[in-house]
Amino acid sequence: MHTFILRRFFFLTFVLFGVSVLLFGILMTFSPERRAAAYVTTPQQAKDIPRIIKQFGLDDPFYIQYVRWIKEVSRGNLGWSLVAARPVGEAFWRYFPITLEMNLYAAPIVIFLGIWLGSISGIHRDSWIDHSTRIFAIIGWSLPTFLFALVLLMVFYGYFHLFSPGVLSDELAMSIINHPEQYTAYTGMLTIDGLLNGRPDIALNALHHLVLPITTYVIVVVALNMRVMRSGIIEELSKDYVLTARAKGADRRTIHYKHARRNALLPVITVAGQLVAMSMEGSIAVEVVYNRQGIGWWLAESATQLDMPVLMCICLFMGLVFVVTNLTIDILYATIDPRIRLN
Amino acid sequence: MTALLQTENLVTNFYTYEGVVRALNGISLVVDYGSTFGLVGESGCGKSVAVRSMMRIIQEPGRVEGGKVVVFFDPDNQQRGVDLLQQSEAYLEHLRGDQISMIFQEPNAALNPIMSIGDQVAESFLFHKRKEMCARVLEALRRPDGPSASPLGAFQRHLYARAARNPRDLLVTLTTKIPLLKHWQRRLKKEALRRSIEIIGKLGIPNPDKVVKLYPHNLSGGMKQRIVIAIALACSPLLLIADEATSNLDVTIQAQILDLLRSLKQTEIASILLITHDLGVVAETCDRVGVMYAGNLCEVADVGDLFHDPRHPYTRALLAAVPRFHQEGPLLSIEGAVPNLVDPPAGCRFHPRCPEARDICRRQFPETVDMGGDHTVACYLYTDQARAGDAP
Repeated sequence: MHTFILRRFFFLTFVLFGVSVLLFGILMTFSPERRAAAYVTTPQQAKDIPRIIKQFGLDDPFYIQYVRWIKEVSRGNLGWSLVAARPVGEAFWRYFPITLEMNLYAAPIVIFLGIWLGSISGIHRDSWIDHSTRIFAIIGWSLPTFLFALVLLMVFYGYFHLFSPGVLSDELAMSIINHPEQYTAYTGMLTIDGLLNGRPDIALNALHHLVLPITTYVIVVVALNMRVMRSGIIEELSKDYVLTARAKGADRRTIHYKHARRNALLPVITVAGQLVAMSMEGSIAVEVVYNRQGIGWWLAESATQLDMPVLMCICLFMGLVFVVTNLTIDILYATIDPRIRLN
Repeated sequence: MTALLQTENLVTNFYTYEGVVRALNGISLVVDYGSTFGLVGESGCGKSVAVRSMMRIIQEPGRVEGGKVVVFFDPDNQQRGVDLLQQSEAYLEHLRGDQISMIFQEPNAALNPIMSIGDQVAESFLFHKRKEMCARVLEALRRPDGPSASPLGAFQRHLYARAARNPRDLLVTLTTKIPLLKHWQRRLKKEALRRSIEIIGKLGIPNPDKVVKLYPHNLSGGMKQRIVIAIALACSPLLLIADEATSNLDVTIQAQILDLLRSLKQTEIASILLITHDLGVVAETCDRVGVMYAGNLCEVADVGDLFHDPRHPYTRALLAAVPRFHQEGPLLSIEGAVPNLVDPPAGCRFHPRCPEARDICRRQFPETVDMGGDHTVACYLYTDQARAGDAP
């Protein structure tokens, strides 16, 4: 088990090397002038472009630039983010909690709601419960996220003035800024920090701002999870061991929840793990539409402004997240399925 | 002879997209106390559907649509039978595994792959012997060297006492559903596991206390089939239904399992209903045989009768197709194929393949004829109607 985990982390370095070379290579297809232009903000500075290229070595061969970047990264210097106007590392810890906070609430809902809806729809196959959950899933899955987010925002903010975009209402945000001595950002997640600082009003308000993003994200993403669970349950219920269980006198509850569901969970773990890993980059559309400045928003802004250090940093981060999720999936698999040994 | 299980005109249909599959077309048979009844026939003739209908574990989209399945629990009182088709699902859950149990064709698929052997066998006891086991645990708890009289221990004792009186007690059911609290059942589960080890050991599996901790993939096919048998035998049922229990095992294991079933019939269970397509197995183990073809029972007889004096053309063809040791020339087979049961042939379902088919066979289904000596045949060869009418 321990060697298995250690080996996975050893492979992580190769994964990170691979993805970083790939992305670096793609970014190198932009001309040095185009990349230097990212440092230019006014037309007057345009004449500095040749100097910038020389200073940062932007016209050096690919491998020299890559090695230079690796050297800096190994020293802990991830570069300067133009979008955030601060070092990438520092900016990352500023944006990451916003995304993490949403995921902390959304992921359990996606996983458990998906498993629950999938189970009941598989168990009551072809009944009205099954049909309605499937319609719900198809609608969620086929709606473009940005459109759905905009519609929700229009209805609940535009017409009913119930939920507003952003992460915190202005007066509370101002109260934090005006009295920095009364508020410590322990985690960067407002709902948790609010409680830790004895400010439940901040926590509640932040939660209030989370309702629409979480709803959007859950409805869009839960469908896949649900479908996998549903087909898993249907498949398991047709297997012979279910017949054995019935023949020994098991009631329906035991058959559905003790026998079939545990077996059907195996593929769901894979799907749910990937969904959670993907959401770590912060569903971009959700963060942009609801104006939440998390990783997704940062990624979108950096991509449009060719903020290379940020793109590289997020790319490395995603590599790490996927390796860790896959590791977790494997460990979970081994705990549920005795046929799998981690060797 | 005293009947244990009697089916009358059992009809089961499957509602598929291609149409209604008429899988069982009125099966009537009697399994006596102390006998082994063999049900033979080609693949797809409805043997498994027949026994699954009897236990009412037909899976979607199948439905048992007519007839009776009567069980006589008391061999001395043949008047009081229970028709299983009229009973509630809850009644059947009590009955299955306790009075009638079943073993299956494919031991590799018949066990839940992610549940330990012990847990799977113990389930039988936990479903049917709860009351008895609770009483036993209570007895152990009340002994002076039992656990201390802490409030928690007292509560545990109280729960066991209630469960021993009535396993469906509201408080007992509630506490089994609440996390943490439900651990009062630990001793009950231990008792069930102890009984599982005992029964597994009885079936000739070495190191039963280690085997219960293993999972199905750790065991060989023959071992798995023994575990499936252990699950079925856990509560000493009256009737054991073996659905092709030996078909997928190699010959030596097959012989071992058949021996096991034979010896069990003498000690643990009253009767066996054995489904097979192997006539050798039938000749070796059964007292009575029913021959099935395309959802019908064509001939029922004592085993010696059937082999020496087969009456139905299908039975004859089937026996002729058995390879013999001193055989010369090619093996015989039955011309044609098993009919599609969505649209079965009119009249006798065997007539397209029957060498002796007459006009009436194509029009009308033959009545069952009693040939004397507990030998019945459903064929026009033996009715007056046919003799009077058209020649072959």
